[in-house]
This record gives sequence, structure tokens and C-alpha cells, in this order.
Amino acid sequence: MLNFARFVITRAVMALITLIIVSLFVFLLMELVPGDCAERYLAFKNTQGSSIQIANELEAERQRLGLDRPFLERWSKWIVGAFQGEFGNSCILRVNIADLLGDKFLLSLGICLASLALAYAIAIPVGIIAAASNNPYLNNSLRIISYLGLAMPNFLLALMIMLFATVYFGETLTGLFSSQYRDAPWSWARFVDLLKHAWLPVFILGWSATAFALQTVRALMSDEIGKLYVTAATARGVHGRKLLWRYPARHALGPIINSLGFDLNRIFNELPIVALILVMTDAGKLLIDALARSNDQQLAGAIIFLLTASIVALNFFTDILLATIDPRVRKSIVR
Amino acid sequence: MSNMPDPTDPKLAGINIPNPTQFGAEGDNDQHAKEAYFTASQGQLIWARFKKQRAAMIAAFFLVFLIFSGLFAPFLSPYDPTVAGRNKDYTNGAPQIPQFCDKNGCSLRPFIHPVERERSLATNFRWVTKINEDKRSYLTFLPKGDAYKLFGVIKSDRHLFGLEEGKLHVFGTDEDGQDIFSRTLHAIWTSLQVGTIGVLIAFVLALIIGGVSGYYGGWIDSVIQMITDAFRTVPAIPLFMAVAAFMPPEISAEARFFYISIILGFIGWPTLARRIRTHLLTERNQEYVLAAQLCGASSSHVIRRHLLPSFTSYIIVDLVISFPYMVLSETALSFIGLGLKDPVSSLGVMLQKATSADVMLNYQWYFIPVAFFIVLVMAFVFVGDGLRDAADPYSEVNK
Repeated sequence: MLNFARFVITRAVMALITLIIVSLFVFLLMELVPGDCAERYLAFKNTQGSSIQIANELEAERQRLGLDRPFLERWSKWIVGAFQGEFGNSCILRVNIADLLGDKFLLSLGICLASLALAYAIAIPVGIIAAASNNPYLNNSLRIISYLGLAMPNFLLALMIMLFATVYFGETLTGLFSSQYRDAPWSWARFVDLLKHAWLPVFILGWSATAFALQTVRALMSDEIGKLYVTAATARGVHGRKLLWRYPARHALGPIINSLGFDLNRIFNELPIVALILVMTDAGKLLIDALARSNDQQLAGAIIFLLTASIVALNFFTDILLATIDPRVRKSIVR
Repeated sequence: MSNMPDPTDPKLAGINIPNPTQFGAEGDNDQHAKEAYFTASQGQLIWARFKKQRAAMIAAFFLVFLIFSGLFAPFLSPYDPTVAGRNKDYTNGAPQIPQFCDKNGCSLRPFIHPVERERSLATNFRWVTKINEDKRSYLTFLPKGDAYKLFGVIKSDRHLFGLEEGKLHVFGTDEDGQDIFSRTLHAIWTSLQVGTIGVLIAFVLALIIGGVSGYYGGWIDSVIQMITDAFRTVPAIPLFMAVAAFMPPEISAEARFFYISIILGFIGWPTLARRIRTHLLTERNQEYVLAAQLCGASSSHVIRRHLLPSFTSYIIVDLVISFPYMVLSETALSFIGLGLKDPVSSLGVMLQKATSADVMLNYQWYFIPVAFFIVLVMAFVFVGDGLRDAADPYSEVNK
């Protein structure tokens, strides 16, 4: 038990270190953009009609925003804030980033996790069946579907579905909420409305994730099925579904749990673009707006950091989960 | 890995290498084949295994076809892909398919019915395009058209096909009247270029970082791996977007093209670096390396003759596999407006305008290039997969 606690703590520390390195990347990225916040604020003030002495004001403004402090100090301040969910103000939109993001980030995260769940809900049974059966047609068609999932980037799929929907149903299937619920507070009706709209992004994001997951599950299962302990179990008279689920599937589960973090990463990759096409009002769209339209690095940095933090968190939890369910992993920790 | 002897005998290049399990029988032919097998170079072995995979071979043909159509895009495409080659009388025009027969009879030469624009009292003074079914415009081969430079050097103005009069748009035109077929061919070339530059940059970075990591091992390896892993956790496309936003909006299209390729390379290295490191770490502890060292081989000899050949094939395979990701990232980036911009033809640029309901309802031919890109990416994936299986000397033993 003590060893297990030590394992958890080691993992937590490693996750923390990863996050700190990531925050360094993100912060450097924000810093490297030409023009700092002081200049942006002054430029804004100028458009509001106040004529100011640029040089003097700029220094004063920098001091006020703390931009004259050394890099390490600003970075540590940013990262301490980031861990508390506080990212300061966006200097282009001049609003607090945490307020701006609000529940939009959670909404995006929810959609991504739902796609992940969908992907594995399909991939695990189908992958196991494909690995167990010797039907070449089934295997080949699954292979082609998987490749198609890779070759057809999600944004193309989104476009195609919209094309289909517009041509045949005359509906564009965009947005996350109906207009009457868009700014309404959370309620059951709003949630139901969300579900009505969210199935499409979930499906689109889940599509390529499913293709990848299918490949993984099938490969792992076919590896395991050929092993001696499966033959031994068959010899003892275990067969059919019971055999598959009790022996090879349990072994294949470990690597699958391990790969969840990277699957989430892949889904996040597609999120902004799918969000753009489907005109969703979530974090992905905000990210694109921040980067493509207004060059708002504070907001972009915050979103990238949050996305990465959720991947790191998921990786941490899958590590712990793996150690709890797999005695071999547990033993190797105890060692 | 290279458990086969290495001498390269040019005589053997054409010999079909048999399955090693069939070597039981004796005979001159078998003896010859056996010898060919054991003295074949790694390249010949990989090619022999690759040829056996039908899907990969088909994909390879598609790939070669697409690469050539990209390479000769200026010649194959009837018009200039930029606004310079536009047909201002046929904007948002439907695809024109050459035909042999119409209501006035048949001809041996394919032709199309030209479109005419008119504006009169009858059309309420709006421009209306309509197809004139009584006129025929015949296809010609090697007509003179827009000037171009093939491979950037050979000047020419001949195109593969065109019309005697007027312009032919096999895939239709976009809202500026640019020929979608010409743009598609040029876009394939753009994708290939972006992918190649991106992959090469990623490869060089990966070789340095992964090489240092795998060669030194120890704490250097741990630190580098920690940074690489942290970098890999960051979702790539949002990161692409953040870095692409650095580009000043006023730079030229060519400069943008290089920036994008460089960014793709800079973000694509971690996966490759990790593989190179793993190859190095496992290979340098193999028995054959130890054997070579015990025989008194210098470390440069070990690296050149044993370590490098043992994983060049893997590296090539990795490069082929990472290629479609580069292409897809570029497309996605251009699509959202952070990548390439308009004078350059690229699938992402071409699809930018295709999201509006107007286009979806009325001008579906905007989506024809998508099919080409799916084929391109699929071909790369299948070839990469086939190469991976072919490069693995144990793939046959396992089956």
C-alpha cells in the first residue's frame, strides 16, 4: 500500500513536471509574438481618442502590467495563476480569460471525452470480433475503414456531412444550441437541446478516433489470441465469448488504457477545425478566433495549456487505473 | 536486424527471391535461388517482400501516378491555376465533360458545347450563361496556352489538351473562374512539396535529438525524453495554429509556403526522434554489434557498416508514414486561413470557400479535389504500411 502511494506520488510529480515544461513552451510562444500587451492597450486607447505620449506611456503601462519584470518571474507568476485556473486578462478583448472561457472549455472537453467513449464503445467489441474471426473479408474491410478514418481528415468528413445534410435535408446542422438556449442558464431543457446538437461533433470527432482504436484493439487481440495461455484455456474447455473476454481481452486491455491519452490528443487536434466548420461556440472556435482573427496569444496560450493539462491529467489517471487493475504493473511498482 | 550478409551483386537485382521455407529441395535452380536470397542486399529483400503485397503495390501505382501528375502539373493542366488563367465568362461553372455524340450526330473527335453569356431584354438585363447545343468546340492536343516553366527551368506554353476555341473545364470553375482541374493538379504538387520539406526538417531534427539521446543514454537521455514527451503531449494542430499566427500577414505567398513547411517540420519531430532513439538504444546492445566490436571493429566501422544499415530502412518507412500527417496538417492549417494563401493552390485554400451553404447547394464540384487527396493520403498510408511490413525481416517468420 505504501508502495502504491509512492507510485501515485511519483506519477503526480512527473505529471506536474510535464505541465511545467509545457507551460514553458506555451509561455515562450506567447512572449515571442511581436508586440506586447502594453502596446496593444495603448493602441486600443488611441482608437478611443485619447492622445498620449507613446514612449512615456508605454513604459508606465509596461510597469503597470508587470511586463518589465524578469522572464522567470513573469513565467512563474503565469504558471501559478494557470494552476488555479486564472489566466489574467486577454489584452485584445480586454476581458478576463477565465470568464471568457467559462463553461465553454468544459463543454469542449465533454464533447471530446464523449467522442473518446464512443470510439472505444465501437472499437472494443468490433476489434475483438475481427481479431477472433478468420474472415478475410471482414478483416480487409475493417482495415480499409480504418485507413479511411486516417485519410479522411475530420474536417473533410464534417464538410461532407454538411454537404449531404444541406443537399438532402436543407438543414446545415451547425451550432451547439438552438437560438433560444444559447445564452440561457443551465437547465434540463438546455441540456437536452445540447444533446440534440452535440451528436454530430461527437460523431465526427469520434470517427477517426474509432478508426485508430479499431486498429489498436485488433492488433493487440490478434497478438494475444495466438499465445499459449489461450490455447491452454481452450484445452481446458473454455470457449466462445467467455474465452475471449476472460483471457486475451484482459491482457489487451492494458495497452489500450495506456493509449487513451494519445487518443484524446488526436481528438483535440481535430476539435478547432471541426468547431469552425460546425460553428460551435466552444473553446476550439475561440482558439481559432484568437489566432486567426485577432492574434490573441493570451487566450490561445490559456486554451493550449488547458488542453494539454487535460491530456496530462488523463494520462495520470490511466496510469493509476492500470496499476490498480493489472497485477503485473502493480508488482513491478512494488518491486 | 541485418542478419543477412550484405554483398551487393548487381547480377542479382532481377532475381525473384523465393520464400526461405522452400529451401528443402535440392537442385541447380534452388541452389541458385538460395544463393540469390542469402546474398541479396537489404534493398532487394525489401523490394521482394514489398512486391508480394497486393494492396501496397496498387497503392504504389496510384502514388507514382499522383506524383507524376503533380510533377507535370503545369503541362497536364490546361490553364494557369492562378487568377491569370481564369475564365471570366464562366465563373462557378459546372464541369464540362467532353462527349462524342449529341443530337446533331456523332464525331470521332470529342467536343463540348460552348457556353455563351448574354444580357438582353429577354434576360431582364442580367448576365445569363447558357449552353449552345448547336455549336461544337473540339478538343485539341498540345495547344498553345498560358506560359509556364516545367520544374522551374523548361519554358513552354504547350499543354496536354485544350479546346480549339474557348476553354475547357473538366472539373468546373470556382467563383473567380479558375479552372478546378488545373488547381487540383497544382495542389497535389504543393502538398507533396510541403510534405517533403516538412518531413526532411523533422527528420534532421529527429536525427540530431534522437541520435544524441540514444547515443549518450543515461541522464541526457532521460532529460531529452522528458522534454520530448512533454512536447508530444501538446496537441499538435492547436500548436501549429499558435506558431503559424506568428507569420506577418503581409509576407509573400512563397515565403509563407516555406514558413509553413518549416513549422510543420519543427512540430513533427518528436515521434520520429523517439523512434530513432529507440532503434539506437536497442541496436547498440545487440549481439552482432558486440561481435563486431570483439572482432576489433572500430566504432566508426560499427556505426557505418552495422548500425546505420540496420535502421535506414526503418527510417525511410517512418518518413513515408509521417508524410500524410504533414499533408493533412497543411491542408487543415490552410483551410482555417492560417496556412497557405490564395495564389498558391492547395486543397485547404481551395476548400476555404466551399463551406458556405451557397456552394454546398449549388456548386458541388468544388469538392472534386477532395477525392484526389483522399487517394493521395491513402496511397501514402498503404505504401508506408507495406514498406513497414517489408522492412521487417521477421514479418515472414511470424506468419
